[in-house]
Amino acid sequence: MPDDVKLIELKHICKSFGDTQVLKDINLYIRRKEFVTLLGPSGCGKTTMLRIIGGFENADSGELIFDGTDLSGIPPYKRRVNTVFQKYALFTHMNVFNNIAFGLKLKSPAELLPGVEKPTRRQVKREIARRVEKMLKLVKMEQYANRSVDALSGGQQQRIAIARALVNEPEVLLLDEPLGALDLKLRREMQLELKSMQQQLGITFIYVTHDQEEALTMSDTIVVMNHGSIQQIGDGKSIYDEPKNAFVANFIGESNILDAVMLKDFEVQAAGRVFECVDEGFGENVPVDMVVRPEDVMLVGADVGMLTGMVESVLFKGVHYEMMISSGGFRWKVHSTTMFPVGSEVGMSIIPSNIHIMRKMALEDKTAEAQA
Amino acid sequence: MKRSFFSGPYALWMIMFTIFPIVFVALYAFQDNTGAFTIDNITRCFEGTYMKVLWRSVKLALECTVLCVLLGYPCAYFLASKDFSKYKTLFVLILLPMWMNFLLRTYASMSLLERNGIINAIVTALGFDRWNMIGTEGAVLYGMVYNYLPFMVLPIHTSLKKMDQRVIEAAQDLGANPARVFLKVTLPLSMSGVISGITMVFMPSVTTFAISKLLGSGNFMLMGDVIENQYMVANDWSFGSSLSLFMTVLILISIGLLNRLDTNKSERSDNW
Repeated sequence: MPDDVKLIELKHICKSFGDTQVLKDINLYIRRKEFVTLLGPSGCGKTTMLRIIGGFENADSGELIFDGTDLSGIPPYKRRVNTVFQKYALFTHMNVFNNIAFGLKLKSPAELLPGVEKPTRRQVKREIARRVEKMLKLVKMEQYANRSVDALSGGQQQRIAIARALVNEPEVLLLDEPLGALDLKLRREMQLELKSMQQQLGITFIYVTHDQEEALTMSDTIVVMNHGSIQQIGDGKSIYDEPKNAFVANFIGESNILDAVMLKDFEVQAAGRVFECVDEGFGENVPVDMVVRPEDVMLVGADVGMLTGMVESVLFKGVHYEMMISSGGFRWKVHSTTMFPVGSEVGMSIIPSNIHIMRKMALEDKTAEAQA
Repeated sequence: MKRSFFSGPYALWMIMFTIFPIVFVALYAFQDNTGAFTIDNITRCFEGTYMKVLWRSVKLALECTVLCVLLGYPCAYFLASKDFSKYKTLFVLILLPMWMNFLLRTYASMSLLERNGIINAIVTALGFDRWNMIGTEGAVLYGMVYNYLPFMVLPIHTSLKKMDQRVIEAAQDLGANPARVFLKVTLPLSMSGVISGITMVFMPSVTTFAISKLLGSGNFMLMGDVIENQYMVANDWSFGSSLSLFMTVLILISIGLLNRLDTNKSERSDNW
């Protein structure tokens, strides 16, 4: 569980490459021992943000505070942060052991053995070997110490890249889509392993991904980004259940987003009828977006539903069927374990707590969305 | 039609211009003027005069190679770096001399170094004595370095260019300052480029001719010159062939040694 201490703080960070503004006034804090995921489509600025924290890019303006000190202009090798790169970036001219030992060999003997006065070379060597072996054990690669890194599979290379970063006992580990190149099954395994490593070691993880499922599985906090600005910050559940705008609702999970009008508190009009809902405080007769998750639409008999519609298509998805149902001029995406054949009439019901109301996105965001 | 059919022209070319000449050189090397078998020409290669020339050739070639590494590596490094790689012209300037015949280049060097050449014009204009450069070993070395430098820059540049930038960043990330990054990552990973550069420079420079004649005024006969003389002046094709064969064997041995060096490098990486 994260402490209540702000370890990293980004204040008004802006960054442009040429004419493209990649980060627009980013404000964010990350707590000690927190697992934070930067989530967004490619080109949203998440990797740039990670590279600024790592020291590989400098922000054009704004502050990056680490443990109370401003890090601007401090080169990467002086930061207490380590990175796991997207394509691992292992040293191909060294074997597995030396890849992991790289960071340790750069440390002074006094740093490696703080308790020992004037450590001998042999003591230093033994200490390095001990720490490397501990890491190899952590990533379950003990028997690979003398292998060449070229001889490893993608998943194994990934483990070595993680061990190489963690052996330096960083306060923060930055991970740039580390599982992107692995197959689905391996990726799921690694997600759980990474999460348990993070909890076991008590290190802050900042994780970049475009995979919403990955973000939901691992994170304490998810930062949803789009077009260089933060859309929403929160834990997985709050982001899934209470998306702040149509972009977040669309990006995290699947949703039906309807143009609606908030008639008054707890009453919203959409798809040609009035629904009861649990939202309030939007005002009267205000245009809003109404979000309903596909699994929250209940299919009932044609005569008993709140809405009636016609099944347009059916896809079998394994656990459930995905049906497109047109009703009231809108095509609803519905997930259900019971299948209704194409062309049949069905009734649909939605309980008030499953209706989520969002303010309309600002116009500029919408046009940007359309361009993307 | 078989796929090997398409390699026909290449095979023909190899036979005509590589295999045949080598076979003929080998045959001539073991014949006397009448065509009878003899090993006299081979033993003559080991006479003191020729050993001296060989030693001079090897020494000059080594000096040339070392200078090319020392000059070529930094050059390739800066050309491959982020700040310089946008200046494509700089790179073309390095390559430009390679596209000209090396005799032309050497004649151009002569006009630079001559007694009444451009450098001496500047030297005398500044009020110093004329500087005799043509006919010195330094001039020959200069000519060789000038001619072969691009062959060093090119492979090193390629190996630096194709290096994954993230690997450099990973080293920085793990705590290596710029000097350490260079010594522990950049340099070892570009070693294959250095080694092919060495091969590309050492091999032709050990058999150099003409440069030594033009810039060294014939004071520094090299192996290449001696062989040329045997064919063109002394008309002793048999001895010329023996010397050629002798050099070929030497070159094959040094290529073998260099290749071994390269594989050892990647296996012994843990010794840093």
